[in-house]
Amino acid sequence: MNADGTIHARRIRKSFGPKTVLHDIDLDIASGEICCIIGPSGSGKSTLLRCINGLETVDSGVLKVNGDDFGYYETENAYHALPPRKLAEQRTRVGMVFQQFNLFPNMTARQNVMSGPVLVKGADKKQSAKRAQELLTSVGLGAFGDRYPAELSGGQQQRVAIARSLAMDPEIILFDEPTSALDPEKVGEVLSVMQDLAKKGMTMVVVTHEMGFAREVADTLLFMDEGFVVERGDAREILTDPKEPRTQTFLKQVL
Amino acid sequence: MNGMDATLKPRIRRRSTFEYVAWVLCIVLGLGILASVATNPNFKWDVVAKYFTHEAILRGLMLTIFLTVASMVLGTLLGLVIAIMRSSKIKPIAATAGLFITLFRGTPVLVQLIFWFNIAALYPNLTIGIPFTNIGTAIDTNALMGPITAALIGLTLNEAAYMAEIIRGGFSSVGKGQIEAADSLGMSASMKMRKVIIPQAMPSIIPATGNQVIGMFKETSLVSVLGVAELLQSAQLIYARTYETIPLLIVASLWYLVMTLLLSYPQSKLEQKYSHTSVRVPRKARKVTLTAPEGIAR
Repeated sequence: MNADGTIHARRIRKSFGPKTVLHDIDLDIASGEICCIIGPSGSGKSTLLRCINGLETVDSGVLKVNGDDFGYYETENAYHALPPRKLAEQRTRVGMVFQQFNLFPNMTARQNVMSGPVLVKGADKKQSAKRAQELLTSVGLGAFGDRYPAELSGGQQQRVAIARSLAMDPEIILFDEPTSALDPEKVGEVLSVMQDLAKKGMTMVVVTHEMGFAREVADTLLFMDEGFVVERGDAREILTDPKEPRTQTFLKQVL
Repeated sequence: MNGMDATLKPRIRRRSTFEYVAWVLCIVLGLGILASVATNPNFKWDVVAKYFTHEAILRGLMLTIFLTVASMVLGTLLGLVIAIMRSSKIKPIAATAGLFITLFRGTPVLVQLIFWFNIAALYPNLTIGIPFTNIGTAIDTNALMGPITAALIGLTLNEAAYMAEIIRGGFSSVGKGQIEAADSLGMSASMKMRKVIIPQAMPSIIPATGNQVIGMFKETSLVSVLGVAELLQSAQLIYARTYETIPLLIVASLWYLVMTLLLSYPQSKLEQKYSHTSVRVPRKARKVTLTAPEGIAR
């Protein structure tokens, strides 16, 4: 069975010192699925996302991304950390879009988009530049390739960051509150790029406070609080008719 | 009052009494010193003029410049290596770098210079070969460790310790998000260092390195104790013969001043260029990182 684009987690646990931030999280995301994770700040939703591409490591539990154990290999009685090169290889298949964009300020928009293919995969520069141009055009920034991040608005930077992730041809893209650092009027341009992506069958996991986006685009929804998954299921169902009282109070506050 | 349009009247800055007093004091004091310097025959300005471009002095100046450039270039390269080691996750490597920095920053350069010059007392023969076997050759340490070599080693190792801290400071000025972005793209550690961390650390490293160059230029005078005929020692050799101590010290000082002033102009330009680039490194600044290293950061 082809497991590309899937995420499978069972009883993931993670603590920072004495504070447990993820309690036995289970997760099953199918290829092409759009999953939104919502919840109050400090609920562990960003940590969960960061575990999926190895920015954090889980303490215990099973985590398979694209069908492979992520960052570790399994033996009879333990998981052993993979060598850095193997981990890097797995990471190239999972894109990440950050709240603060994190574009490289010393590179132009085009160089940012090319950075993955050229520097990591050793791809041909000319072809990568051409591909970068196509990707920039697809996020509506075809004319901005020579601009530096500091010369772009937040919304434009975030769209470049999405193009940079796409350039690696990942099966999965993770979004960590992609619109939270944006001016309210720039949120729409980023969400519409993400909506286009969703239509193309990319697996997407989105930590967000944009309930409108969750309702319109997401297939499934996860509501987290204090390190637990409180409620999960069909996105529209939960948003209109939440079962758990905790979800109900949260949604009442944000909607 | 007298008909001048009030809207056109100039506005005069208020001067405090202290400002007038400061002016008077400075002028009186300055003139006094100037008069003394000009009329005191012991300054022997004619001797200063005679030796200012003396062949031995110029040769000494060249050696001083050579020592500055060589020890800065080597010290920066070694400092970069130490800085990378210092930020390593592998404990013994980080600790080795830490020990290096502690040792060479924690002892006076003068002591270090004399130490290297006398290293033969500690190890009379240097053996290159495989430890605990008989394979290899031995060299007489004294033959290898001439004064200039000792000076270069001493200055370089000391400078490397300071540059390592400057470079490491630059590394830590690069945001955590940048490293995460590079990681999530699957960049290797060395790629991350070369393409993400170092270019962004440059704005804080380059001006500090410029300061080090200026400092090093004067620090080289310490190697005169090893008998290296750099600028100061060249002046000393002459006045040991002619007893014109003060004029020759003035000659040396003037050259140090001239060179420091020459260096401080590009230095202030560099500082201006990099002072407000913590977030952005625009096109022009990128060019500087490519061209500036001449004698500074390569």
